[in-house]
Amino acid sequence: MRQQKVAPARGLQPVHALAGALVLLLAGIVASIYQDRTFHEQRLRELTVQAEILAASVTAALVFDDSQTVQEHVSALAINRAVAAAGVHDRDRNLIASIGTGSVTTTAAGQSEPSGPGSTVHTSVMHEGEAIGYVYIREREEPLSLRIARHVPMMLLAIMAALFVALMGTLQRTLHEANRQLEVRAVTLAETNQMLQSEMEERSRAEEALRQSQKMEAVGQLAGGVAHDFNNLLTIIRGNLHLLRQTRPEGREETDEFIVNAELAADRAGHLVRRLLSFSRRQPPSSIPVHLNDIARGMQELIAHSVGKNVQVVWTLSSTWETVCDTNQMENVILNLAINARDAMPDGGTVTIETVDLPGFEPEAGELQPGDYVALRVRDTGIGMSGDVSSRAIEPFFTTKPHGEGTGLGLSTAFAFARHSRGHLQIESAPGSGTTVTILLPRHRIMSEEVA
Amino acid sequence: MAALIVCAGFSLPLAADRQLELAVKATFLYKFAPFVTWPAEAFDTPSSPFRLCVVGTDPFGALLDDAVRGQTVMSRPIALRRLASVDRQSGCHAVFVSGSAVQSAAEALRAVDRTATLTVTDATLGPHRGIVHFVITNDRVTFDIDNAAAARNRLSISSKLLALARNVRGQPLAGSQ
Repeated sequence: MRQQKVAPARGLQPVHALAGALVLLLAGIVASIYQDRTFHEQRLRELTVQAEILAASVTAALVFDDSQTVQEHVSALAINRAVAAAGVHDRDRNLIASIGTGSVTTTAAGQSEPSGPGSTVHTSVMHEGEAIGYVYIREREEPLSLRIARHVPMMLLAIMAALFVALMGTLQRTLHEANRQLEVRAVTLAETNQMLQSEMEERSRAEEALRQSQKMEAVGQLAGGVAHDFNNLLTIIRGNLHLLRQTRPEGREETDEFIVNAELAADRAGHLVRRLLSFSRRQPPSSIPVHLNDIARGMQELIAHSVGKNVQVVWTLSSTWETVCDTNQMENVILNLAINARDAMPDGGTVTIETVDLPGFEPEAGELQPGDYVALRVRDTGIGMSGDVSSRAIEPFFTTKPHGEGTGLGLSTAFAFARHSRGHLQIESAPGSGTTVTILLPRHRIMSEEVA
Repeated sequence: MAALIVCAGFSLPLAADRQLELAVKATFLYKFAPFVTWPAEAFDTPSSPFRLCVVGTDPFGALLDDAVRGQTVMSRPIALRRLASVDRQSGCHAVFVSGSAVQSAAEALRAVDRTATLTVTDATLGPHRGIVHFVITNDRVTFDIDNAAAARNRLSISSKLLALARNVRGQPLAGSQ
């Protein structure tokens, strides 16, 4: 699993969202406090104006000691809900008129100060350049409920904004988490897909091998049937040739040559039929435990003679294990392979024939069981084969040799032999790089032989 | 055009005390001055005294002398004069008209008509009305103002004073409550 692609969730973390929400709330509170202060200052300014108006309107009344008029002017202020208390003093700080609750005290600065909550504004009643009286107005403390009500919209907005930010943070995180899981799933999916594809390829290879095997089986049965009948016909031909030789009239010796030629041809035909029967397994093999090295050593002279002087033969016989096979067929196979190698090197070259033990060999899937094998390899330095040719090389009667020179049975017989010996035949080749044919045979063990 | 302004009574109770009533009226005589604007030519210099005249029978006597003693009006000293009769050359800025055998109240008022003079009359002394007319209401000294007469005499009366008057007749009505 490619973990490095799965990055941790980035972007807006919940802690960021929380901080943002807190900042918004704080901003809302600050704005509310500021608004409250501004509102209060505004009220005080209004009350100051009110006090100045009152001072101006009671000037004449103060001059003429008309306290009733002063009281009327002061009482008029009761209409203003913002006013909790108001009053007018004369120049000697005697209270002339007042409204509202609370006793009036004189502050250190000499100003009259009504007791109670709320701020008080003061102004003097000026007449002819001197203060002839003093006016105070105390504001009414705004009820807490009203003040709260004034801040509710702002706080609601701030809370909603904070909630929104927090929600966005949570959403973002969820989205990141979902993305991360999706990435993990995508990786898993890709892996599964790859596995599936390799399985499909394997299956297709297995099917191809099965088809090939079935084809070989069919061809083998066909060839076997034909060879069997042909063998019977050959027996009749041979018998008649024998009778012909015995019943030849004296003085006709010149016909012996024809009879001998016919008998030679019949022998060759018989040989061909045996190979066909061997390919189709109609002929029972006489398998015995044997060392491949022994077989190979027995053929060195024959092969050296067969390949000619242009081709050098190198023997590397390192196998020590026994295997089970038909000795005659094995000899045939080695000879055939050596001749094929020679034909692949018209200008001469080297044929390497080796035997080797393959302990714990793991062949390609579907063809053999893993285990110990003994291998025979015949390698040439010849022209090699294209993929097309090498894939058809083991088909019976397929040959690249000129018409009449090859039977097309050499490799197919070797293939059949390997299969009948519970082994396998492999061809490695490319144009220009020579060809290596390997015959794999299972190692023979004395114990298993007895069980079998 | 004459708007009746219901005005305040005064906090100062007079009861039957005639002396106290006169003392209040004597004080009022110079207290009106700061609320009245005279034309600039009414005074010779910025420091010229404010001339307060009593024409005819003087009901105040020493009360008035006591009231104005040491007082200033618009940074001016107060010059109190008692006249038997008044005319355009008398130079009074404010004149209390009571009338006498020498010159009736009506004659006195006519004499200073259209001069920069604030005329004051008293309801207890007769029906003749000056610009300011003392009236006793609910045992308190109140006054009516004839703003039209003031305008005729080129005087401008502060709305603050008009607001204090019991009745105001004539334009302007500024300061009515």
